[in-house]
Amino acid sequence: MPAETWSQVRDVFERALEQDPADPERWLAAAACTEGVRAEVASLLRYHARAGRFLGEPVAARVPDLLDEQASLKPGQSIGSYVIVRELGSGGMGRVYLASDQRLKRLVAIKALLPRLTTHPSSRERFRREAQAAAALTHSGICTVYALEEVNDDLYIVTEYVEGRTLREDINSGTRPSPALLRETAQELASALAAAHSRGIIHRDLKPENVLRAVDGHIKILDFGVAHIEDDSGRGPRPRMTQPGLLLGTPAYMAPEQLNGEPADARADIFALGVLLNEYACGSHRFEAATPIAMMSRILGKDVPPVAGRLGHVAPDVADVIERCLQKNPGDRWPSAAAIVGSLQSHAAVATPPSRWWRMHQLAVLVLYVGASVVAWGVKEALETPASRWLFVGVGIGAALAGIVRGHLVFTQWMNPRRLVDERRRTAVVTLAGDLWIGVCLAVSGLLLVPVRPLYAVLTIALAIGVALARVLMEPATTVAALGRR
Amino acid sequence: MSPPERHPPSLDEVAPRVYEELRRLAAAYIRHEHPGQTLQPTALVHEAYLRLVGAGTPWTDHRHFVGIAARSMRQILVERARARGAQKRWGGLDRVSLNETLQAAVEEDAMLPALDEALARLEEIDPEQVKIIELRYFVGLSVEEASDALGISPATLKRRWALARAWLFRELSGGELSGGN
Repeated sequence: MPAETWSQVRDVFERALEQDPADPERWLAAAACTEGVRAEVASLLRYHARAGRFLGEPVAARVPDLLDEQASLKPGQSIGSYVIVRELGSGGMGRVYLASDQRLKRLVAIKALLPRLTTHPSSRERFRREAQAAAALTHSGICTVYALEEVNDDLYIVTEYVEGRTLREDINSGTRPSPALLRETAQELASALAAAHSRGIIHRDLKPENVLRAVDGHIKILDFGVAHIEDDSGRGPRPRMTQPGLLLGTPAYMAPEQLNGEPADARADIFALGVLLNEYACGSHRFEAATPIAMMSRILGKDVPPVAGRLGHVAPDVADVIERCLQKNPGDRWPSAAAIVGSLQSHAAVATPPSRWWRMHQLAVLVLYVGASVVAWGVKEALETPASRWLFVGVGIGAALAGIVRGHLVFTQWMNPRRLVDERRRTAVVTLAGDLWIGVCLAVSGLLLVPVRPLYAVLTIALAIGVALARVLMEPATTVAALGRR
Repeated sequence: MSPPERHPPSLDEVAPRVYEELRRLAAAYIRHEHPGQTLQPTALVHEAYLRLVGAGTPWTDHRHFVGIAARSMRQILVERARARGAQKRWGGLDRVSLNETLQAAVEEDAMLPALDEALARLEEIDPEQVKIIELRYFVGLSVEEASDALGISPATLKRRWALARAWLFRELSGGELSGGN
């Protein structure tokens, strides 16, 4: 439309609105203008009459909704053969929904990937490949990938639905795990990582948000293999500098080599596991800092933050696992997640509280000591010789000494079980010498008693043999049964 | 920070900076979303203005800035709508639902990319009409504020606003109403 024609249209239209004639058609017919202008104005007036609230509400009022990258799916909406039940949450990759699979009649979790992650054909292709690889993972500690659905150009990852809490929620709740729970969690996480790594699948974005504790108490790692598809470089999540000083995304669980932009392998997951376990154990992040940049410099820095105190309450072997995960140089970390599992298992038997049998053995021996002292006193009363007096004193000293040491072991096992093995080793000489000393003293007392009270003499000698055998034969057996080692 | 210049900056020079600033503010708002707090684009534009003025940008007048900011706001919102894949789900104007008071917001958001294209066509005929839509619809300025920004009377602005809406409504309806000319 030529410019003059449009300005005529505009003028006539404005005059029509201004004068607001009762009969617009007659008014327009009388207006001084060309037929073309008249027809155009008539058309526009008709649309004006029907436009209603069109553009009436500024879109501005919904800016927050609009700036949100992804429209949310409503309950009841279908994605292929899945029907949305409700939204579970949203993360860096998109919104997650609980949905029901109409074909297999089961609940699933559906992650709707952000459109910007899937617009590029190469990133779509990588999602497909990674989902394929992740779908091949079946491990009790890994949330199973069921399918990758493509509906209307949008990508959806369909996974097992796990009811539970994320470790992030646990950490934020302020309650710290018991040593046993921490060890179990470390072991389950490491074994899940080991299973994935053995298939060449690296998580690259392990963090408390990606770990669920299911209602059955076991852990599940989410987003295996796909969490890192963030950009086209194939290097996984990286701190993104949009402009100087503005950092998007958190580097909190990235290994130094990831932060340096070097390709990350399975050992980056091991670093992340260390940061995660440390945070789970202590409630605070190991490299905590005021800004992401400061945090990055602490992760990269040569100085390992002083933490001896922080992990003080954690079992030494678990603390060792964490420390070795956190080494800056990948070569200094655990060589594999499987190695972590192995290390934790070898210590697990030691650290688990010994069975009741070990404790019962200790109590039985304490009773034997009392019995031995009473018998030695009886012998002294019967003979009233200097020898029998000294033998009574000997049994008493031996029983007191060994009794105190055994009491100490029982107390250690009760208060500080992981010290038990060391304490047993340290005091083994005392209990052995004490028991043999008691046995010898009792045996001599028995021999002295033979001429006077043969029956009591035999019982005394039997008790002497019992005390000695209990230490030499039975204790090693009960200890191995309870503690897994001598 | 560049030293103040004597001549007013050209639109091409400053538009990218305004756009970036608005985007940054919007993104910051989204990240620190506070429940119950709604952010109006007018406030966003105002904050961007203060920031850029504070940064030593030689703005000759606020009107000039508001015009650029309104264009940026349109770009940002339309881009987002496109990124959300809104266009492919938009089925076109539904004449019945349009007149309903509570038109689904989703529907209108999905319309944005098409509206943007229609605005590009309107720009060729009458750029002022496009500015009016940007100020009123995309930034949410009142009739008085918008007329002030454009230097026309509120009454004129109202009539031209009506014309722009009628034109766009026809454009997005994809043709003439039945019983047309």
